Amino acid sequence: MALDFTFTEEQEFFRQMVRDAVNRLIMPRVAELDEKEEFPWDLWKEFAGLGYLGLRHEEKYGGMGTDTITQMIFYEELARGSCGFAMATIMQILMGTYFIARFGSENIKQRILVPAIKGEKIGTICFTEDQSGSDLGGTRTLATKVDGGWRINGRKQWITNGPIAEFCTCMATVDPKLGLKGLNFYLVEKKTADQDGFVPGQRLHKLGSRCSVTGELVFDNVFVPDENFLGEEVGKGIQYAGEILNEVRVMTGMNALAIAKEAMQDARQYANNRIAFGNLISKYQLIREKFAKFWAWYEASRTYLYKCAWMIQNKVPCVNECMLAKYHSTEMCMYAVEEAMRIYGGNAFCSEYPPQRYWRDAKFLLYGGGTHEVLCDYLGRIYCKD
Amino acid sequence: MLVKQVPDPEAIVKVKSDSELEIENKYFTNFFDEIAIEAGLKLKEKFGGKVTVLTVDNKKVDALRRGIAMGADDAIQITDPALEGSDQFAIAKALAAYLKDKPFDLILAGRQAMDDDAGIVGPAVAELLGIPHVNTIIGLEVDDPKKEVKVLREVEGGKEILSCSLPALFTCQKGLNNPRIPQVMNVMKAMKTQIKKVDLAALGLNAADAGSQAAKIKVQKYLSSPKRPPVKMIKEDFPENVKSLVKLLKEEAKVI
Repeated sequence: MALDFTFTEEQEFFRQMVRDAVNRLIMPRVAELDEKEEFPWDLWKEFAGLGYLGLRHEEKYGGMGTDTITQMIFYEELARGSCGFAMATIMQILMGTYFIARFGSENIKQRILVPAIKGEKIGTICFTEDQSGSDLGGTRTLATKVDGGWRINGRKQWITNGPIAEFCTCMATVDPKLGLKGLNFYLVEKKTADQDGFVPGQRLHKLGSRCSVTGELVFDNVFVPDENFLGEEVGKGIQYAGEILNEVRVMTGMNALAIAKEAMQDARQYANNRIAFGNLISKYQLIREKFAKFWAWYEASRTYLYKCAWMIQNKVPCVNECMLAKYHSTEMCMYAVEEAMRIYGGNAFCSEYPPQRYWRDAKFLLYGGGTHEVLCDYLGRIYCKD
Repeated sequence: MLVKQVPDPEAIVKVKSDSELEIENKYFTNFFDEIAIEAGLKLKEKFGGKVTVLTVDNKKVDALRRGIAMGADDAIQITDPALEGSDQFAIAKALAAYLKDKPFDLILAGRQAMDDDAGIVGPAVAELLGIPHVNTIIGLEVDDPKKEVKVLREVEGGKEILSCSLPALFTCQKGLNNPRIPQVMNVMKAMKTQIKKVDLAALGLNAADAGSQAAKIKVQKYLSSPKRPPVKMIKEDFPENVKSLVKLLKEEAKVI
């Protein structure tokens, strides 16, 4: 009787509450958020006021300390609305504060984590550079040990929340020749008149996920004190990155579930109303097949993602499983949004109808947590060794 | 606050038999009940006191959990196998039996449940308790020291202000307030809250007082909505097709 696929009554209730908050606060604004391509400060403040930013952090810092399954339920429901807003929010909840919560001193937690959970200070994490992203070993941002701290030099790209961030967890190497073994994480704050720090660089304009602002962060000989080194010892950064990447991949898969389902629900409604050749288009087998395929792949993805969430929660090693789940679910999502575009016919190609937004947002999920080319190369290598 | 969990408007509802519906397992808290909870919480914030949410349901308690998540102090579920098949009057009887010896100033309920749209339970509870009742209020002003209330309601062509003494029962209409979105801290609290259960025996009622035995209204037959008629294609060329269309609109659709 060990195998159990049910959510608890409490988890179902939690899902309903998140869904309701998303329906009331975000859903009515989805198209506007996409069109404006600006960070919605008013929505951020309202949403942060509900307390969800502390979902995975300890109660003594204003968090809730929920389990992984509950967090994944939140990610799945949140992304039903605006993908961009979900990305900005999840950056704050998960990646942007993960290492601060894990390794930060009490002083750092009070100064950074507590206001981050309240939504007052926005944070981010910096992995990607111009020549490295999925290839973390290619990181060139350099951390040099100096008296009392570290000097950081480099440029980070594709940083979600970068243009509005007040602090970041920056991955840097002590020596590029060491590859993955040289990597570490550092807390760096934004440069002000009183403190050294990063400077936001160029903002990127994206195809999808448009209301999360994304850009470059520049680290120009930034000094950070020893306290800002986030880790137990030098060179363990890649091991720590591995911990968070499992969660990031499953989280990304949850977002994919949400976008795929919303896209196909809209498409179903369209197909049940659109008439061609005297019949509703949902009566035609070629249209029905699209829904059937989506349904099968969606259910498989969802079941496997929650299995991965369960493995993370129960500390079962699951690096490969989380990669597989991320790969499968985001490809499933691409299938769903592509087919939703086809079901809408020519109407899909204009911004008055939603499928083009789902399609653009779904594309964004392909890259975070490893491109599929990198993931599949790795997974194929592992599989063949077996 | 009298609350009910009702099927989501998106839930698929099918007629299973003459007297039974098959409802997809998608429920949410009746929106008018949320307005009632919000009104209660606003009064609590102003005057103090306690807000209790109360439901009659053998299975679904999420309306109670939502009440707690919004800020209610207590949640009571009246539940008993004998309640199955109750009509609105039997539900009201159970609620009134619970409330009759409890100290309360005000009972609030939604103007109607969004599933059966009956709007009976609230007024029936007030009648059984012998307290004043006003339905579909959109304004509420309490004078706590005098134990008096002024309420506003919409009437044909305008509004009216009514007053009565406490205790009283009001049913709440859209426009009274905007129900708050629960904070996650309260959601977590609601997830863990033990819902207090009360059965008919504890209310001094027996099986004959509730359920289908006591129902004054019986469902004779459920009927599905008529299916959308098939599309009729007019295959003639102009101008015959226009003539045919006008004929169809006149004689079949009867819209011109």
